[in-house]
Amino acid sequence: MLAPGWSPLTFEPPVPGTYELPPLGTAADAPILTSDGTATTLHALYGDRPALLSFVYTTCPDVNGCPLATAVLAKLHRRLQRDHALRDRVTLLSLSIDPARDTPAVMRQYGAALAAPLENTSDDAASSAAGSWRFLTTASEEALAPILAAYDQAISKDYDRTGAYLGTMSHVLRVILIDRSRRIRNIYSVSFLHADTVLTDLRTILAEDDPPAKDGGAKTRHARARDDTRSTDNRETRVAHAAEAPDSGGTPSAANAVPSSLQGAGDHKAGYESRGYETRSRDLTRRQGATTDLLALAGRPPRGLPAVPVPDDNPLTATKIALGRKLFFDRRLSLNDTVSCAMCHVPEQGFANNELQTAVGIEGRTVRRNAPTIYNVGYLPRLFHDGREQTLEQQIWGPLLAVNEMGNPSVGHVIETLRGLEDYDGRFEAAFAGDGPSMLTIGAAIASYERTLVSADTPFDRWRFGDDADALGPAARRGFQLFVGKGRCASCHTIAETHALFTDGALHNTGIGYRASMTTEPATRRVQVAPGVTLDVDTASYAAASEPRSSDLGRYEITQNPADRWQYRTPTLRNVALTAPYMHDGSLATLRDVIEFYDAGGVPHEVLDPRIQPLGLDAPAIDDLVAFLESLTGANVDTLVADAFAAPVGDVGAAAILVPPSP
Amino acid sequence: MSNWVSRVVAVGMAFFGLSLLGAASADETCMSPYMAKIVGQEDFVYVWTLGAEGIGDEQDKLVTIDVNPDSKQYGKVVASLSVGGRNEAHHSGLTDDRRYLWASGLDTNKIFIFDIHTNPAKPTLDKTIDDFVKTSGGVVGPHTNYALPGRMMLTGLSNNKDHGGRTGLVEYTNNGTYITTHWMPTDEDLGGATKSGKFADGYGYDFRVLPRRNAMLTSSFTGWNNYMMNLGKMMGDGEAMKRFGNTMVVWDLHTRKPKRILDVPGAPLEIRCAWGPHNNYCFTATALTSKLWLAYEDDNGTWQAKEIADIADASKVPLPVDMSITADDQLLWVNTWNDGTTRLFDISNPHEPKEIYTEKIGEQLNMLSQSWDGKRVYYTSSLLANWDKTDGPDGDVQFFKAFTFDGKKLTPTFAIDFTAENLGSPHQMRFGARALYSTAAAASESASRLAAR
Repeated sequence: MLAPGWSPLTFEPPVPGTYELPPLGTAADAPILTSDGTATTLHALYGDRPALLSFVYTTCPDVNGCPLATAVLAKLHRRLQRDHALRDRVTLLSLSIDPARDTPAVMRQYGAALAAPLENTSDDAASSAAGSWRFLTTASEEALAPILAAYDQAISKDYDRTGAYLGTMSHVLRVILIDRSRRIRNIYSVSFLHADTVLTDLRTILAEDDPPAKDGGAKTRHARARDDTRSTDNRETRVAHAAEAPDSGGTPSAANAVPSSLQGAGDHKAGYESRGYETRSRDLTRRQGATTDLLALAGRPPRGLPAVPVPDDNPLTATKIALGRKLFFDRRLSLNDTVSCAMCHVPEQGFANNELQTAVGIEGRTVRRNAPTIYNVGYLPRLFHDGREQTLEQQIWGPLLAVNEMGNPSVGHVIETLRGLEDYDGRFEAAFAGDGPSMLTIGAAIASYERTLVSADTPFDRWRFGDDADALGPAARRGFQLFVGKGRCASCHTIAETHALFTDGALHNTGIGYRASMTTEPATRRVQVAPGVTLDVDTASYAAASEPRSSDLGRYEITQNPADRWQYRTPTLRNVALTAPYMHDGSLATLRDVIEFYDAGGVPHEVLDPRIQPLGLDAPAIDDLVAFLESLTGANVDTLVADAFAAPVGDVGAAAILVPPSP
Repeated sequence: MSNWVSRVVAVGMAFFGLSLLGAASADETCMSPYMAKIVGQEDFVYVWTLGAEGIGDEQDKLVTIDVNPDSKQYGKVVASLSVGGRNEAHHSGLTDDRRYLWASGLDTNKIFIFDIHTNPAKPTLDKTIDDFVKTSGGVVGPHTNYALPGRMMLTGLSNNKDHGGRTGLVEYTNNGTYITTHWMPTDEDLGGATKSGKFADGYGYDFRVLPRRNAMLTSSFTGWNNYMMNLGKMMGDGEAMKRFGNTMVVWDLHTRKPKRILDVPGAPLEIRCAWGPHNNYCFTATALTSKLWLAYEDDNGTWQAKEIADIADASKVPLPVDMSITADDQLLWVNTWNDGTTRLFDISNPHEPKEIYTEKIGEQLNMLSQSWDGKRVYYTSSLLANWDKTDGPDGDVQFFKAFTFDGKKLTPTFAIDFTAENLGSPHQMRFGARALYSTAAAASESASRLAAR
């Protein structure tokens, strides 16, 4: 079977200039001998034209080896001579990998018939064209070796089983396309080498030298990716996502409308239960934002929120907030550089995680509870679902050191990690009056960023605290009456005279934890396996691949008081529409599920909070309550998410290549 | 036959002679078509092995097993090279010149480049790429390491923004220099592709090419959150179970632009393309729905995907994993992980495959690699660190097992218990042969082992 280069191309070649040929590295220089024995260099031969460099040897017997390469170059040579636009613009080079036998004289003979000018070209053109395919060799194998290494062309001589050299060589056929800036732009092997596609590539790189094309400036996805590659903190000056020009490359009509809001997981799985589900996925390269003045925001919280409590020993400053923000998105703060705070508290997912009921930590280790939102976390008197910490400054160390979250083995390890990262040079010292990274400053910086994530001025706030009677729709207003009345919600999710935190800061037992601890795995479980497709799966079938379930006893685990079993902190309801799934274990998927759970009176048992009773809500009442809860989304959530998008994601990247460990 | 022929038959006939640049697969029958191929007896199997807590040095390693029956070391582990850390060692791939083996970690995103040509019996670690995420612009979870001419294409499974399934393809030169990132098409940026149905999820997994059709194909699995978490926990997490891929993408191989997005619901994983010069089709299997699918070019030259067979009983979570197509396009091995069973399908009519043989290999089963002639088949057990089983009969949980296949049934030849040997959890296998890197000495030792078909 012959290689495709011997036959007509079996597909339509792409249109030159419509695609990219990203550089593959620099085309190295080296001394070389031309077929008339002249000593020169590869770069001198490249000159200022694109070149094709082919590695061959004259006695090569494989029809799909060197003869293929030479035949394709011959075909190109003829076409280039006939093409007035290309004739003087490309150099073809065939370089021997067998210098012992392929002397300049041999190469001259090899090339004589091939590079002969065409009869129908003018003398002028013919002489030029004849010079555009050169046959080259080197003085010795020693002179050849660095060229083979630089162009990654492995060869090995063939021996018979007695160890005698057979005079043939094995090599992966390579022809290399080099642009006029001496960068490698494509590599062709047997399956790819075809005159039509090489010509297309040549036209593509030649077109780069032409004046810039008509369409002005919309960046391709590749260009955006490259920008991201170079991203540093100065990316914070980017324009907002919403302001970016639409890409001309796509066919928007074929795609579903992507939500204009920044909120929600980018792969948009809403409606996945239905067979009618359609994707509305967002492009990662467009996940870019704009910074906002977080210090000013925290200094004047939006309508509906009280002043942000700030500890005396950790006043907010812009430098500290910026440092905390950088730390929050830095994956290098985990033992194996994979988990940052933001990998679980994902900005567009309500600074929580919509994609998981309970969190997944370093090395995939199980976390028992749902990642809570960071919005308005600065107001909370107790932190973690079980309320075991009192300040953000202290709380931060919990996830950093938990073996199943960020996995750091010690405080000192985190400090040493940060001291070793060049992009933190001076950042702590600038934020903390000369103090470097320490247990105190790391906590203080991250706490400062989190404290600024205040979000309110919701329709409810404008209606309740802003005297805007129309801010809240009728359903939400009815829902509010239920919220403070028959629904009993406000007995824990409190609303004050001048502001509302929607949490009493206390811990309660709803029965969710009790139910999880006291029920066993069912024999079958309905599992969704594709959009609109569920299976009743035999749970025993994967029991051997399931870790033992660990109970979660809530506040009891801190106090050891049996009365505190299954108590969890009352979460705020601000931005609750953005933070599904719900409850401390993410076991309820929707707000409706939550209301129905409370309507049924929770899960009755000995230590159920007495405030939880059957409510007797009818369907319209539940709808109204959902409408009310959905009116609690802050006006500034897109601003805060855009600010988070503008933050650099910290990944390993200082040293591209590590020195391998000694054996 | 000269050695040129033998080796470049390796490069040439094996893939030219047989079928003009066919597809590629996990093992010797169909790796990336741009590389030397071992058509005779392989000398070594390199097993990319996950470190496991409590097992030996607990870190990922490249394990070299001597599989040549003529060798004194036959059936033995002859080298083990630890690389540091548990990286979620998963897939590996050889460069087109077959001098280096790239092996990547789905968790830490490190790519380990092993020199296997200097001494094929004792690979060395040549380079480690540790900045994959940053350099690629945020791709996480390097999975398939696939040889293209002078370069490697790596598929991603996730990203550094949400650890979900949206991801990209990342191209490197053979010496480990980053070239570019190709993001999987999404609704927001289809990149010029058309949707054949309802989905454009931006997810990724495997990668194969059909150069004669200028086509490259990708499949789609799930993001870091899911592939890293405990399997039982995930099955109980309704949100997590929505985060699986439902697409294959057909790309223009030359321009690397996505052309058409095919709906293949239920997490299509491995892609295996046919070799025959007119067989313009590839198989995949959906992990969650347990179906065999065919992606094929129809009479109008348009790529389509259709469900062609059930694989075991989906409600028992069989989880179809690795597959291997024979060089003559007649048979397809499909492993189901949960029941530890390998299944052979007759694919002589690719639109109507028939299961013709099954064999339970162990408590769990993931990868297989067959020799070019299909006469030797090797199996390993591990799927993912937190999906693997922890219990079972000795030697049947984490293993490498070698078999011969006579066209009708598998016959065991030898096995290695990776737990008892304190190695870890074995994953992808690649073949090595001394004769690929000829020296006078190696040639005389093993020239006879390399034979063209």
